Amino acid sequence: MAYTAEISRNNPSCFLFLIDQSGSMADNFPGEVPKKKADGVADAINKLLQNLVIRCAKEEGVRDYFYVGVIGYGATVGPSFSGSLAGKELVAVSEIANSPARIEERVKKVDDGAGGLVDQKVKFPIWFEPTANGGTPMCQALGNAKSILQKWMGQHPNSFPSVVIHITDGESTDGDPSQAMNEVKSLSSSDGNVLLFNLHISNNPNAQSTAFPDSSASLPDQYARLLFEGASLLTPTMRNVAGEHGFSLSDGAKCFVLNADLVLVIQALDIGTRASNLR
Amino acid sequence: MTMRLFYEALWLQKAGNSEEEYEDAFWPKPRLSGEPIQVVSVAVADGATDSSFSGIWARQLVRAYSHGNIDPANIKASLSKIQARWARTVNRKPLPWYAEEKLRKGAFSTLLGVTLRDEHHGGSSGTWEALAVGDTCLAHVRGDELVATFPLSSSTQFNNTPFLLCSNPNSNTRLDVEAQFSSGAWETGDSFYLMTDAFAAWFFREVEEGAKPWQILRDVEIDPSVPFRPWIEELRRKNAIRNDDVTLYRIDVS
Repeated sequence: MAYTAEISRNNPSCFLFLIDQSGSMADNFPGEVPKKKADGVADAINKLLQNLVIRCAKEEGVRDYFYVGVIGYGATVGPSFSGSLAGKELVAVSEIANSPARIEERVKKVDDGAGGLVDQKVKFPIWFEPTANGGTPMCQALGNAKSILQKWMGQHPNSFPSVVIHITDGESTDGDPSQAMNEVKSLSSSDGNVLLFNLHISNNPNAQSTAFPDSSASLPDQYARLLFEGASLLTPTMRNVAGEHGFSLSDGAKCFVLNADLVLVIQALDIGTRASNLR
Repeated sequence: MTMRLFYEALWLQKAGNSEEEYEDAFWPKPRLSGEPIQVVSVAVADGATDSSFSGIWARQLVRAYSHGNIDPANIKASLSKIQARWARTVNRKPLPWYAEEKLRKGAFSTLLGVTLRDEHHGGSSGTWEALAVGDTCLAHVRGDELVATFPLSSSTQFNNTPFLLCSNPNSNTRLDVEAQFSSGAWETGDSFYLMTDAFAAWFFREVEEGAKPWQILRDVEIDPSVPFRPWIEELRRKNAIRNDDVTLYRIDVS
C-alpha cells in the first residue's frame, strides 16, 4: 500500500518548499488591516518549518526524520534560506532547528484549560524573509524542484514520498505550469508518488478561504483552478487526520488550500504515536 | 497460604533506535519467581514518540500506579503530584527553542495498571481490577482459553492517535470519559499479559486468525529455544508486527 513507509532516521523523507517571490507578492491581501502577500507567505513557511522541527524534536535534540529545502522564485530561482543556511539546497531538519536567521517573540492566544484564552509569549524563529521582486518563473521553479527530488529519490528509493509545498499567488509568467507540476508528481519511490501541495495566496475579493476541496467549482479564478488541478490527492492517512481535526473530506480531496493554513500536513505525517489530546 | 506469582517484563526498543530511546515503561522492575504475595499492582505505559520527555513521564506513571499513588476513582487529582515531579525533572536545564515549545505541549503516555488481590481465599483465587488510558492492552488467559481482554479486543481498534495521559493538566480534560476500568476474578494457573500497542495488535491478529498466541507467550524466554528479542526481530522481519517499542509483562499466578 502506498504512503505507508516508515519515516525514521534510517529512512528519512524530504520536504521541499517552493516559494513565489515575484513582484506581485508585494500587493496587499484584501481586508481592513493591510498585509502584503509576501509577509503572509513568509509567516506561512516559517510556521511550517517551525512545526516540522517541533514534530521531530525529542529531549536529546532533533531527529533527522526529514531533509528540507526552500526554493524561492522571482527575480531569480534558487535556495532561499536566510542566515547561515543561505545557499543550501537540502538540509537535515536538525540543522534547520539549530540555524534560524533570528528568533522573534510573538504573542499567541492559548486555551487556559478552563474554557478561556490567555496570551502566551512564544518564540517564532525566522528562516525565510519576505521578498517580492521580478517575474513569476513558476515552470522554471518546478523544473528545479524536479531535479532536486529526482536526485533525492534516487538516493532514498524506499522513502516515504517527498512532499512539495508550493506557495504562490498563482500568476506564472513563464508559461502554463501544468506539465511541470505533473512531472514533479510523476517522481516516485517504492512507496508512492511525490505529493504536491499548492497553497494559493489570493487577493481576489471573491476568494473564500478553502481547504482540501474535491472540486474547483467554488474557486474564484483560473489561477486557483490551475493550482487545484495540479495538486496531488490527499493520502488516506492525511484524510483521516483531517477528519480528526473536524474536516469532512471525500476521496477526491486535493492537496490544495486557498488562503488557508497547511500546518495540518505536518501533523498528518506519521512519525510515531500522536496523542489525540495534543493541543 | 497466599497467592504465588511469577512475573517478568520482556522488552525491546524499536529497530533503529538505541536502548536509551526505549520509551515504554513497566513496574515492578525485578522479576518475581513464585514468592507469596497478598496484593500486587503492575503497570505498563507507552510514552508517545511524538512528545518529548515521554519516557520519563511513562516511567513516573508506572511507578506511581504500582505504589498505589493513582486512585482510579480520582485519576486527575492523583496525577497532579506526578505532573509536578515531571516538570521539576525536565526543567533542570535551559533548553533550545524547539525543546521549550515541545515541553509546553507536555509529554504523553498510555497507562495500563492491573492490581491482583488474594482476598483471603488461601491463594487459590482472588480478584483483579484494571485501569487503562490509551491502547496498552491486557489479556487474561485461563487454561488454554482467552477469558478477557482490556481495554481493546480487536486488531482493528488500534490507530495512531489514541487519547493519552498528559503531563500538562490542560490536555487531560477528557480524561473522565477516556479512562476505562475493568475487573474480574483469577484462579490458580491463570496468566495475565500486559502488552504495548504494536505487540497487542499482533496478539489480536493471531487470535482473529484462529491461533492461540498465549501458547508462545507462556514459554517465551523461559524455554531457551524461544528467546524474546530474536523472536520479536523475526516478527518484524516478516512484517507481522509494526516497528515500535515492544513490552510484554507476563504474570503467572500459581
